[in-house]
Amino acid sequence: MAVSSRRAGGVVGSVRLLRSLQHQDGRLFSTSVARHTAGSEGQPPKFVPPSKPVIIDKAKSQASLRQFLSPEFIPPRQRTNPVKFAMERKDMIQRRKILNIPEFYVGSVLEVTMLDPHAASKTNRFVGICIQRSGKGLGATFTLRNIVDGQGVEICYELYSPRMKHIEVLKLEKRLDDNLFYLRDALPEYSTFDFDMKPVHLSPTQDVPVNQIKVRMKPRPWSKRWERPKFNVQGIRFDQCLTPEQMEHAQKWAEPWRQYDMLKEYDTSSVEEKILQEVQAELNK
Amino acid sequence: MHLTLRALISHGRVARRMGLGPESRINMLRNILTGLVRHERIETTRARADEVRFYAEKLIDYAKKGDTNEKSMKMADFWLTEKDLIPKLFKVLASRFENQSSGYTRMARLPNRENLDRAAMAVIEYKGNPFPPLFPVKKENELNLVNQLLKGYREERAQLTGFQD
Repeated sequence: MAVSSRRAGGVVGSVRLLRSLQHQDGRLFSTSVARHTAGSEGQPPKFVPPSKPVIIDKAKSQASLRQFLSPEFIPPRQRTNPVKFAMERKDMIQRRKILNIPEFYVGSVLEVTMLDPHAASKTNRFVGICIQRSGKGLGATFTLRNIVDGQGVEICYELYSPRMKHIEVLKLEKRLDDNLFYLRDALPEYSTFDFDMKPVHLSPTQDVPVNQIKVRMKPRPWSKRWERPKFNVQGIRFDQCLTPEQMEHAQKWAEPWRQYDMLKEYDTSSVEEKILQEVQAELNK
Repeated sequence: MHLTLRALISHGRVARRMGLGPESRINMLRNILTGLVRHERIETTRARADEVRFYAEKLIDYAKKGDTNEKSMKMADFWLTEKDLIPKLFKVLASRFENQSSGYTRMARLPNRENLDRAAMAVIEYKGNPFPPLFPVKKENELNLVNQLLKGYREERAQLTGFQD
């Protein structure tokens, strides 16, 4: 710590002398002495707390951070009163101020600790790949899948449950589909994740990488006919498990008019922008 | 064969069942919509008119985005089976409604059809069409005795208030 030579010999008596020195030499390090305001001499000095350090990372501008609105904030297309969604959003933001729910997508590997009254350490921890995110509002859930001792395990967690202690993203990435139920019929290597996996860091300005992996499947029959166009699965290696005739046969169930059916479309872009601004403003308060 | 309860309960379903199935329903609505774009006022059954109303308005919304927009062109190409109507949609109808944001159609109910089925009929039209209005505005006859007396009363009132000012 640099101490100016002027102060090296002298004894600093009253506060006023110190403050005059402070003006001359800007490198005066802050001690508890400097922070006391000089009231009238008889009264004890009033404590002024130090200002909190504000970390402004000038390397990354605010605009380059990726913006993410969790899908459970977007209200569904229903005939319910919007007051219900507004109230739920308020409660969700309140919970998010206490528990940090990170940004994650279907296909990212998460680690979740929940409070468990019957466990020895009162918590239980699970690591898995997120295969679906469903539900809107406070009942939003996500399902994690992993293979433990050769047994496939899927656990559905509620994001806003009071039992949630800690959610961490070990690997943030997206996949080609928005639900990965076909992993149940894929080879087990695609669903096994080490419980002690180290988190993989991704910078907040980068775009989330899309894992283009195409999964190899166990022999048919599968739990669902994933080749049918209704599931629109992009992430399976169909050429290794189905013949071209079978693929063509599956196209019989294609409904080509569906993409032109305007009734099925729900354009959320304007709603999303408004809610994103609202949520960010509330969280930064 | 009952597979899911979800298929039996129709809570929140907005699309009516028409025709032989979903494909048939879309094809029927396509034909009705093409007729509507061609003639700008058509008469069908009430259920079909109500269904086609939504699609007619959405088609105009797509047409407003312009014919350079790929999606709009694909939609127009799919929904209009008579391809000479595609330029009419983009040039005539889109420009007619460019100042409005919604409510491009009007639906009015008609007496039941004269056939054996006595189907409930409705007429659906795009606003701004060249035909006489569906709800004609009835003009009051100025030359009735009552109307003349009322006119005299109004004029006297106006004179009195003119004196007082």
